[in-house]
Amino acid sequence: MIRVQQAPFDAGAEMAALSEGRTDIGALVSFVGQVRDFNERPEVEGLTLEHYPGMTEAALAEIVTEAEARWPLQGVCLIHRVGHLTPGDPIVLVVVASAHRRAAFEACDFIMDYLKTRAPFWKKEHTASGHYWVAERHSDHQDAQRWEETP
Amino acid sequence: MSLTHLNARGEAHMVDVADKGETRREAVASGRITMRPETLALLAQGGLPKGDVLATARIAGIQAAKRTHELIPLCHALPLSKVAIDFHLNEAAACVEVTATCRLNGRTGVEMEALTAVSVACLTLYDMCKAVDKAMQIEALRLESKSGGQSGDYRRGVTPPAPIVTGSGEPGVVALGEAAQGSLLRVKCLAELRERLEVSEVEIALDALPSADVAGLKAALEARDAGFALLKEARILCAVNQVMGGDQTPLTEGDEVAFFPPVTGG
Repeated sequence: MIRVQQAPFDAGAEMAALSEGRTDIGALVSFVGQVRDFNERPEVEGLTLEHYPGMTEAALAEIVTEAEARWPLQGVCLIHRVGHLTPGDPIVLVVVASAHRRAAFEACDFIMDYLKTRAPFWKKEHTASGHYWVAERHSDHQDAQRWEETP
Repeated sequence: MSLTHLNARGEAHMVDVADKGETRREAVASGRITMRPETLALLAQGGLPKGDVLATARIAGIQAAKRTHELIPLCHALPLSKVAIDFHLNEAAACVEVTATCRLNGRTGVEMEALTAVSVACLTLYDMCKAVDKAMQIEALRLESKSGGQSGDYRRGVTPPAPIVTGSGEPGVVALGEAAQGSLLRVKCLAELRERLEVSEVEIALDALPSADVAGLKAALEARDAGFALLKEARILCAVNQVMGGDQTPLTEGDEVAFFPPVTGG
């Protein structure tokens, strides 16, 4: 299940929905990304997230398909918010279900690394000292690179 | 459109796939078996005389997918990389919905494997439950989606774009194309790029491009407004019809080209 939405999400409800009625799921790993109040500059007051409708959803679906090809997964829920958000707001949710924990941990980590470097989203941060578009991070690319070496 | 399993003389033959390229193939098929609500309740509780119904039907479906070539005369034997069978007990409609997903990297599609898996899983459900309900019906066996291969992707309920009609005429009369209004490219600038260029969307005629590719588009845009020179920065990315591309990606009329900075989501 993949969604791009403005509204907040309920991580607990999404996890419950993913495992409802199933007894073959042994591990459920979730990640929630939140808005920090500091980034390239201190005192971040909020941010605006933009996406490319159509391509963003397709890119997320491709990342999930790639994860499903690498690990035996029983289900994936991926939700990314767009629009205006303030510090403390959740931005992104990844829930991965698998029979065993290792696959679930690794697939969740993989999905976030690929999302950071491949999914068309852009952040503009609003701070006390002005607004600016967030620059890409070299460390995000290094993180994504880890998965290239061990298929 | 022709039937690939019939040769030029209309005889059945097996398609030679040796020269086809290997691609990642996936197919999803579905079907359902309707039954009395009491039968479904027994199935859900595990109260049927033959034991664990769903586990047995799942194994049957997987086995069937692997042996499709033994059942369907002109099917190839395929080394499937994945077969998954899912059951959904729909109490409102008193039925079990069965979905099969088959996948491989190979030269032929896997839709027959997915359809066979659903069929045999449904038959096994019938066999496991028939002691208490003989009126069950197997219904709506169908392909939901397939991807990979020459014939393109298919998704039930989504019609592919209609072929472009360039003209019409009586037999023997050559019709001319109906004006060049279709020969436009749509260009989008996203996020930081949109704000720097103060442009969100532009249209440009394909014949204004020195070459029919992304590099040609950049040159044509720069000729129109020098500000577009920043599209040549190495960090600026490009997608053609929502798929990542580069300077050499060819363009044809009606294409949507988006330029944007590196992504920063998550």
